[in-house]
Amino acid sequence: MRQVGAQLRDVTRQGTANFALEIKDLLMQFETPQGPVVAVDRMSVGVEQGRFVSIIGPSGCGKSTVFNIVGGLLRGYQGDVTVAGTRMDGPHKDIGMVFQEESTFPWRTVIDNVVFPLEVSGVPRAERYDRARSFIRMVGLEGFEQRFPAELSGGMRQRVAIARTLAFEPKILLMDEPFAALDEQTRLLLGDHILKIQQELRQTTVLITHNITEAVQLSDKIVIMTYRPGRLKRVLDIDLPRPRTSEVVGSPEFGAYVAEIWKDLREEASRGMQDAEARSRSS
Amino acid sequence: MSTASIPLTKSAPLSFETRVRSLKLAIVASLLLIWEAMARSGLLFEDVVPSIVVVVAALGGVLVDPVFYSNLAITAWEVGTAILVGGVTGLAVGFVLGNSRFLSRAYEPFLYYLGPTPKIIFFPLLIMWFGIGPGSKAALGALSSFFPIAIATAAAIRSVDPILLRVGASFRLSRWQTFYKIFLPAIRGPLTNGFRLGLGIAIIGTVLAETKLSNQGIGYLIIQTYTTFNMARMYALLLLLFAIAILLNAALSRLARRFGA
Repeated sequence: MRQVGAQLRDVTRQGTANFALEIKDLLMQFETPQGPVVAVDRMSVGVEQGRFVSIIGPSGCGKSTVFNIVGGLLRGYQGDVTVAGTRMDGPHKDIGMVFQEESTFPWRTVIDNVVFPLEVSGVPRAERYDRARSFIRMVGLEGFEQRFPAELSGGMRQRVAIARTLAFEPKILLMDEPFAALDEQTRLLLGDHILKIQQELRQTTVLITHNITEAVQLSDKIVIMTYRPGRLKRVLDIDLPRPRTSEVVGSPEFGAYVAEIWKDLREEASRGMQDAEARSRSS
Repeated sequence: MSTASIPLTKSAPLSFETRVRSLKLAIVASLLLIWEAMARSGLLFEDVVPSIVVVVAALGGVLVDPVFYSNLAITAWEVGTAILVGGVTGLAVGFVLGNSRFLSRAYEPFLYYLGPTPKIIFFPLLIMWFGIGPGSKAALGALSSFFPIAIATAAAIRSVDPILLRVGASFRLSRWQTFYKIFLPAIRGPLTNGFRLGLGIAIIGTVLAETKLSNQGIGYLIIQTYTTFNMARMYALLLLLFAIAILLNAALSRLARRFGA
């Protein structure tokens, strides 16, 4: 444990590398009837080109707020969010979002779902279907092109959503707990798909999650957040070999990383739990 | 599967659907039989309950009667105008209410309370405004169909999953694209159902108005047969009116189902 722990590199301070995405001193405050609540408190994260970065934290740490701000769906924040050097102002063409909720269009078939962003941006018909097919293959759904979402399992529908976002050809893939609603085994297997996609496309990816296993399985770098207000607690590099598969879960290094992260998260999660209990007692 | 599998259910000789269909036919056949028995029993006035043979003959007579078609055209025009006016205004109002929590809270109770009141009470007023001709009938139909269509539209808009709109925003859809790529396909099922209800009510309103005060239309023809005590012809007209209403209803139901409602 100790030797492995020594291999973990702490990189809380970022250099001035060329980041695909850079969050600098992000501060987000919400007005509530009980007064202002700070959701995210001066957080800074840099994501290098081609890397997979997870932002992990307990429920209520403001991760979804970060997701919505980076995705351009939430404004009114302070600080800087820049994509390839330009400041974010609304949804950015270089950022593709995958949501936690069911988000496929139920009235469209799998392929018509995946084609959606291309159709909207006016890509010629034949070309957009060709491109959509390659993304469907990438998430392992060939043969299901003409099915409707209702005919698929939850995991398959999330893959449709991922393929649809990939078809948008974003420079940065931004995902908010895309597998939260799925069981652990499905989640690990879908992780393999994500690893493969990342391998193939060298896709810069930001994953918001509360799942430690998922974060270690997929990431090059993990950003740990504190419970309310969401601050940056620690940044951890994951030096597991690539290409990776879900089998990495069995390795001792993997276990060491999980333990390391849990050590940091445990305190935050229990604060969150106490808070939730206090709230339900007072109401 | 090497051992003999035991069937869990007794294999039915006929499928469920076939059995339902045969029972349906049996119901219709027995109703016709009871009708005919009543007509022939002599217990009732022959003219009130005419024999099926007589009704069918009257039906044939109506179907070759140009008077029927010219009046049907009048009613069709009235219903068409009613659903057009009621539909467009209902859609517009429903769209606004569905998108604004504030306005919906303020206005929708009125829609809910006014919706089920029989609109025929406004008919005298509508005659004064739109005259005794088809205009006042179309107006009553429009007034009747406005409510269910407005309520259905507002409900349909509210039922659109907000996540789909966020997906649209993340793909940088314009307002117009959001409307016709997400809103419209998401609500067309419940909307078609709203129109189906609206159409049914527009037909009721229009024909009801025709039976009150008019000199043309199917409702007028029916009242005419009643006043001249031509019962067989009246039944024939009623049957045709049923058939048309059922066909329209079935067509719109199919459309709604195709749209996933």
